[in-house]
Amino acid sequence: MSKLAGVALLALVALAVGFVLAGQVRAELLTPSNQVARYQALVHSVQDLEATNVDERRQIADLRGEIDALESDAAARSATTQALHDTVSDLRAHAGLVAMHGPGVEVTLRNGDPGPDSGSGTGYLVNFQDVEDVVDLLFAQGAEAVSVSGRRITPLSAYSGSAGEIVIDQGPPLTSPVKVDAIGDRNRMLAALDDPNELPGVRARQVQFQLHLTYEGLPDISVPASDSSLQVPHVTAS
Amino acid sequence: MSLRPESRRTRVRIRGLSVWLIALLVALVATIQIRSQAEVERSLVGVDATSLAFLIDDLHSANDALASQKTDLTNLRTTLQSGQSGAADQALSEEAQRLRAIDGYVGVQGPGVVMEVDASGLTALDLEDALNNFMAARAEAIDVNGHRVVTGVAVEQDGGGIKIGGASVSLPWTISAIGDPQKLAEVADLMTQQLRADRRVRSVGYRIETEVVISSVISERPFVYAVPS
Repeated sequence: MSKLAGVALLALVALAVGFVLAGQVRAELLTPSNQVARYQALVHSVQDLEATNVDERRQIADLRGEIDALESDAAARSATTQALHDTVSDLRAHAGLVAMHGPGVEVTLRNGDPGPDSGSGTGYLVNFQDVEDVVDLLFAQGAEAVSVSGRRITPLSAYSGSAGEIVIDQGPPLTSPVKVDAIGDRNRMLAALDDPNELPGVRARQVQFQLHLTYEGLPDISVPASDSSLQVPHVTAS
Repeated sequence: MSLRPESRRTRVRIRGLSVWLIALLVALVATIQIRSQAEVERSLVGVDATSLAFLIDDLHSANDALASQKTDLTNLRTTLQSGQSGAADQALSEEAQRLRAIDGYVGVQGPGVVMEVDASGLTALDLEDALNNFMAARAEAIDVNGHRVVTGVAVEQDGGGIKIGGASVSLPWTISAIGDPQKLAEVADLMTQQLRADRRVRSVGYRIETEVVISSVISERPFVYAVPS
């Protein structure tokens, strides 16, 4: 009887080993510890650089605030300076350097649902082109100020990134869900978002990859000031 | 024939030891696997090492640009804090001119590249991609066929043609971009190679110029809905 139990136990353990090894082989073998260490080193570098990035952008926002306050002080002492300050304030607002609020729309883009054949459990990942298409549509419909997940779009803004990561200007990568806030004529923007002829690429990916696109009009939306670099060292005004 | 009790005990001991050894092996493999998985999951989920390397490169460039901007702003603050006569007016005048260039309200000039694309069937999306590629290379001013483009100017498909800021633009496109000529040339070179493989494209090329002149401007639009917070 005890011999039988022993054999059964051995068989059970062998079975468990078999399952673990099979799972391991399927999962592309063990991650060697040095490989994990290298990966972790890369991750730590990213985390350090992101922390520096956040800190630099905060300092830029603080400096812009201090400069505006100093200019306001100077403007209070001179009519000429006041006129110049008013002009610069308006130009800064158009350049995305002033936080704004007003009626508008909020569009949300979310990763697609994983399909039944998706072994990894990952669906379509929102990319920068999806975001760019939505932002361009809103600007085409007269949006006066736009931000993407808290990053203000400026006249010099650029989009980049790989699948699932959206990089705007000098900010860290954004991931799903991505919120696009636009201030402007919300009826006009909503009509464009409702129009099946607009956003053909995004709509195709909605059908093909279950990319989520939702939007709503709101009576008051806030968009922050840009905290990115707006340096133009190579241009000279004619 | 029966085994002697001592020999039976030895066999039982060996069997027991084997079971423990195998159990230990299972526990070891499972622990390493779970820890490895946990290490990976704790970090950036689903991002491979190559993407992380690119991300590090991008963040380095971004942080350099931010540091440079911070230096400029710090110097400006110092100038304003000095309280010297006319310092604020001087700073504000320079800032106004710089912002007019950024907003696209004045003509500008500087080093850059001029790219020419002759094709049939290219769409607004193709042009938007090209413009975004130049913007990502930190173009400071762009013009397409005499129309100033900044982020926010609508590039729309209009039937078989394209509209930039509401004005029709037909092929061939001449894209002028001012900025760091080396960075812009790298991007122009990549796009040229890609477009040469596109059957719709008849000819494509670019040249680096020490002085690109952009005289097109954007009309200032007053805010109707947006109010400063």
